[in-house]
Amino acid sequence: MQALPAADAENPHARRATPMGWWLLAPMLIWLALFVVAPLLILVVYSFCSRDDLGRVVFDFTWTNYARVFDDTYLKILARSVGYAALTTLICVAAGFPAGWFIARRPPAVRNRLLLLVMIPFWTSFLIRTYAWIAILKSEGLLNATLLSARVIPQPLELLYTPVAVVIGLVYAYLPFMILPVYGSAEKLDNALVEAAHDLGAGPLRAFSEVIIPLTWPGIAAGVLLVFVPAIGMFAITDLMGGAKVAMIGNVIQNQVFKARNLPFAAALGVVFTLLFVASYLALQWRGRRARA
Amino acid sequence: MKMLRSLLPLALAAAFGVATAGAAPKGGKLNLFGWSEYVPQAVIDGFTAETGVKVNYETYASGEEMLAKLLAGGGSYDLIQPPDYIAEALIKGGLLTPVDQAKLPHFGNLMPEYLHMPHDPEQKFTVPFMVGTVGIVVNTEKVTTPVNSYAELFTEAHKNRIVVLDDGRELVTAALYTQGKDLNAMTAENIAGTRPVLAAWFKLIKLFDSDSPKTALLNGDVDLGLVWCGEAAILHNEDKKFRYVLPKEGAHLFVDLLAIPKDARNVENAHLFIDYLLRAEVSKLVSDEFPYTNPNAAARKLLTPEQLANPASYPVTDRKLDTFRHIGDSGAAIDELITDLKNAN
Repeated sequence: MQALPAADAENPHARRATPMGWWLLAPMLIWLALFVVAPLLILVVYSFCSRDDLGRVVFDFTWTNYARVFDDTYLKILARSVGYAALTTLICVAAGFPAGWFIARRPPAVRNRLLLLVMIPFWTSFLIRTYAWIAILKSEGLLNATLLSARVIPQPLELLYTPVAVVIGLVYAYLPFMILPVYGSAEKLDNALVEAAHDLGAGPLRAFSEVIIPLTWPGIAAGVLLVFVPAIGMFAITDLMGGAKVAMIGNVIQNQVFKARNLPFAAALGVVFTLLFVASYLALQWRGRRARA
Repeated sequence: MKMLRSLLPLALAAAFGVATAGAAPKGGKLNLFGWSEYVPQAVIDGFTAETGVKVNYETYASGEEMLAKLLAGGGSYDLIQPPDYIAEALIKGGLLTPVDQAKLPHFGNLMPEYLHMPHDPEQKFTVPFMVGTVGIVVNTEKVTTPVNSYAELFTEAHKNRIVVLDDGRELVTAALYTQGKDLNAMTAENIAGTRPVLAAWFKLIKLFDSDSPKTALLNGDVDLGLVWCGEAAILHNEDKKFRYVLPKEGAHLFVDLLAIPKDARNVENAHLFIDYLLRAEVSKLVSDEFPYTNPNAAARKLLTPEQLANPASYPVTDRKLDTFRHIGDSGAAIDELITDLKNAN
């Protein structure tokens, strides 16, 4: 694999930042400081505090919140969240890759219309679309009515308020986040390379695995991140379509804030959760760098 | 009917406009922090039309959520609708402004049995808004066996046909009732003692929903529920096949109150709105839309016999109903138990 150019003095395009450059960067830096760094710091501080009788944060120092995060119950929930998110990502790749590839291979006019179709659902509120799914999946809903009248099934399927419904909801919500980056990569792929592979005797499978996949990999990787990370933290779908039965880590954090009113514990969960992502991201980078070396 | 209902506030405003014509509308605003689905828009519009006070209505779905946001101090709320046990905690914490009854000419409309209750024995800080119970609702078309108790609700025959409130304290309370224990005896030992009962129940429950448990019942996804009486009353109005019963083992009564937070800025307007809600005609409007138990004697006189006969709004029971008290730190133990049990399934 080709090594990426290192961003240092050896790079002929690298220049010393001018004061003007800093001024241009300032709005974004201020934004990041106010809305990313400051909240994260508050999160870290809260995670070492405790709560009083009414649920107000008491500023003392304790490790108990972190000890509780590693309790069996919460580890199991975390594992389950990762499992659901992984399954969602897998289905999104399987369904989103062909879709993104297909759209990218159309003539530009058709392509834009197809992309519009992918994005149209975003014009409606996410919650309303979730309620629409409830109307489809409920026992006397659209899906069961259709299947029953077509005599495909003898009695209504119990889909709503099951793990299956949760996965359907998650895949539906995040599929566009897979299609769009895959499309971005596939659109740039030069078809001559695929043809060359065929000319050199590669069958469709080999051309796919050795030419198409490596060249669209950045899109797939971006899609995996865009689907996997938010899917772990999702709580609205598990509540509405899963009947609040299958708790995911997002539900637990939401519960700790609004039901148990235990902000410090919620903060500790949030910190551990964030660290996990940082760790997995670093691990991926490190592996990528070793593969290149 | 809908049409009429939307015209009513206008008529009311016209009627009372004459009465208050002497005092010119002062205007200003009122930040109301209330339950979702509890104050009809018509009531808010009527109040604004009469007084010129603009009402900002922000909502929450649980008393705990209200408390969390109130304590976080994000908004400056002028009027809140805490349930009794949360009001008790707020009073103990010195977080409420006393309500001046001299400014509430319609206070006398309230039934004495809902005043001087344990959460506010001196009746200094709160005014009852609506009252309700938590009980069992049954779709009698699908379930033909009698269901009059928690024991009869949670049986193998009803597996996956049950919706319950997504509220740990309500569920632990129900379990305590089946064990013959007091609902406010929320000691760590008693909470742990409900584990086997709840574990068996959780295997039978199809879904947890506090916001709108009636939806799953109406959709036919479940046939039984442990729900707020107001939800059951709406179901009963929709279709008489839905029957509401108070469980034999015991049920609890909740009182949702009106109270003014300590740092409220528009205390005058809060009093104006409380008194407006206490008027018989206005209180009736609330009952029309959200059929909980109305503690306003004058408003009850305006309700139709049909409304008063709704067993979910006005349940008949010879048993004294219990009320929730502030339980302090036990909330954490309840939450841990519920999370653990949901996770075990």
